[in-house]
Amino acid sequence: MSAVDPYVVVCAGGGGVGKTTTSAALALALAQAGRTTLIVTIDPARRLAGAMGVPITDEVTQVTLASAHGNLWALMPDPHRSLYTFAEQLFEGEPEAKARMLANRLYIGLADAAAGIHELVAMSLVARAAAQGKFDVIVIDTAPSRHAIEFVTLPGRLAALLGGRTVTWLAGVAQRAGGGTPSGASAGLVGWGAAHVENLLARVTGPTLVRDTGDLFRDLAVVRERFVALTEHAGKLLLGPTAAYLLVTAPTAAGRDDVLFLAQRLEAMGRAPRAIVMNRADTGPAPYAHALASHSASSASIALALTMLDEERASRSEAAERLSLDFRRHLAGVPIVRLPFIDATAPDQVVRTLSRELTPHLRVLVPDEHR
Amino acid sequence: MTTPVRPSGAALHAPPRSLSPVLLLMGKGGVGKTTIAAGLAVLEAETHGAAILVEFGDGDAGKRALGPSHRAVQHVVIRPNDAVHRAAIPLFGSATVAKLVLGNFAMKPLLGVAPAIRELAMLELVRQLAADRPGVRIVVDMPATGHSVAWLRVPKQGRDFLGSGPLFEMCDRIGRELLSPGRASILVVTLPERLVIEETLELCASVRQETGLHVDRIVVNRVPVALPPQALLDARAWVDAKGPQAGAAAQLAAVLEAREAARAEATASLDALATKDHAMWHVPLAPTDPYARDVARWLLAEGAP
Repeated sequence: MSAVDPYVVVCAGGGGVGKTTTSAALALALAQAGRTTLIVTIDPARRLAGAMGVPITDEVTQVTLASAHGNLWALMPDPHRSLYTFAEQLFEGEPEAKARMLANRLYIGLADAAAGIHELVAMSLVARAAAQGKFDVIVIDTAPSRHAIEFVTLPGRLAALLGGRTVTWLAGVAQRAGGGTPSGASAGLVGWGAAHVENLLARVTGPTLVRDTGDLFRDLAVVRERFVALTEHAGKLLLGPTAAYLLVTAPTAAGRDDVLFLAQRLEAMGRAPRAIVMNRADTGPAPYAHALASHSASSASIALALTMLDEERASRSEAAERLSLDFRRHLAGVPIVRLPFIDATAPDQVVRTLSRELTPHLRVLVPDEHR
Repeated sequence: MTTPVRPSGAALHAPPRSLSPVLLLMGKGGVGKTTIAAGLAVLEAETHGAAILVEFGDGDAGKRALGPSHRAVQHVVIRPNDAVHRAAIPLFGSATVAKLVLGNFAMKPLLGVAPAIRELAMLELVRQLAADRPGVRIVVDMPATGHSVAWLRVPKQGRDFLGSGPLFEMCDRIGRELLSPGRASILVVTLPERLVIEETLELCASVRQETGLHVDRIVVNRVPVALPPQALLDARAWVDAKGPQAGAAAQLAAVLEAREAARAEATASLDALATKDHAMWHVPLAPTDPYARDVARWLLAEGAP
């Protein structure tokens, strides 16, 4: 790792906890503090893209929000283009192989079910941006799933697949399927097993699937080195010493379970969460409530509105309190940053308000030298 | 509990289609799909004595949403890796052979990165479940949006791609016996927010175009509560009077304005939905996790199932 490697903050959490907004607010707070920051949204919500005034593209774009002081950049890759970008990156300078891959029905037909490709492409774009040496901090907003965090190990898993015997075998299968010769000639026990498996597979799936799979992997095997290079830097950035994981949550049972699950997955990767950020977790009554409720100018409608708002707030606070206790018990030592519920509908307003709330906590979320 | 926002237009609903035995619940992440699925399963179990809630994954979400008190609902958890092995047994003729093939040095890592295979297997297990338990309503909690339409496409793609053979037949069977009108109904869960609704409309269009299934119901979750409208007027008057605590009154006014804006947006987006040909159910916003039994009660009030 070079000295210019940026600090990477990976924000993970389940759906509906405000992860995308929180990631954007954190990036904005860092930019306001004078850090050159890149916000990467892996699953770009158009709402956020609109709020930040940036297009959904594979290019790094400057965020024009005045409050960002020119320090904030965004990368919101388009999931629909990932397959094409991936083929382009892998087969640069090899138009024939690229064309074959883009024409392979298996690649095109099944790859939109393979969410991993998009994450992989996004990470290679992040690695490219990091290599510019311009950014102090990169904030990554992962897809809204408790399994999203697995994307950090995907480069390794795919590289292992491409480097292993699987590809050699599949490429051989394709050749034989093309020539119509059975593969009984392979020597040794592995060869015998593989030949049988191959025959069984061909019988069950028909020859087309086996042939297309083989074709695909034969092309991929050729660019294995490039693939590994493409993903290696991203893997290092994500799992290296300058990466931190923030678990974003909200006071719901699902939020609680997702955090505990993600912390477990991180532990399995030899990592611990740097902090838990809990949205909609008000810590006390609204600042205006007491002043208004006790005032003689208050009306019956105001009193009723205050009561309704306070009841909502109290039930959120109570749930947040229970959750905090749970986290302290199960994840001792992990700091918890509680943020209030933001009453606003315009996404840019929510992002700005949350960034103000996050500013006092930057020390907890990002280490000093990167803050 | 509360009065949900209603679309402002009159007679917007098309007469609802009756629902098929299998209900596939779709929607983007975080809209409360699992909560609604559990509520529907509980409602079905309470009215007809039995219901099955199918969950893909580890089973935590469904268990949590059902809560401890709903033994009448059979909670079926389909784990991705088990699913491939179980669905492969009839293809290969025996569990041993299936294990041999799928455990093969080359197949194992391939299956690890080839999700379409797992999705096909999971759908096949739902098909088997529906075939084994005729007359029992099966509520399936599908994964989040883009991904789940891709799921429903897998059997058709597989059929077109393979042309013949046992795997082709499996794809064909799933298409005929599970993913066809009369066998399965699609329910889309959404939130009353403009952009979520826009995505929902896109989802409905791609379901229709790419799977040939209808979206039979749209469930609008977390419909916001109305605060007294007079309170905003009073708070504004207080601010204008510039008297004591005008600053606090301004803060309250800002909150009430935001709520009002959220409600106006909800009404507008519900109107956008209601002009389309879908029947809707509304579920109110609760400040914390609702119980499945409460959700069942709200759904019943909306005319479900």
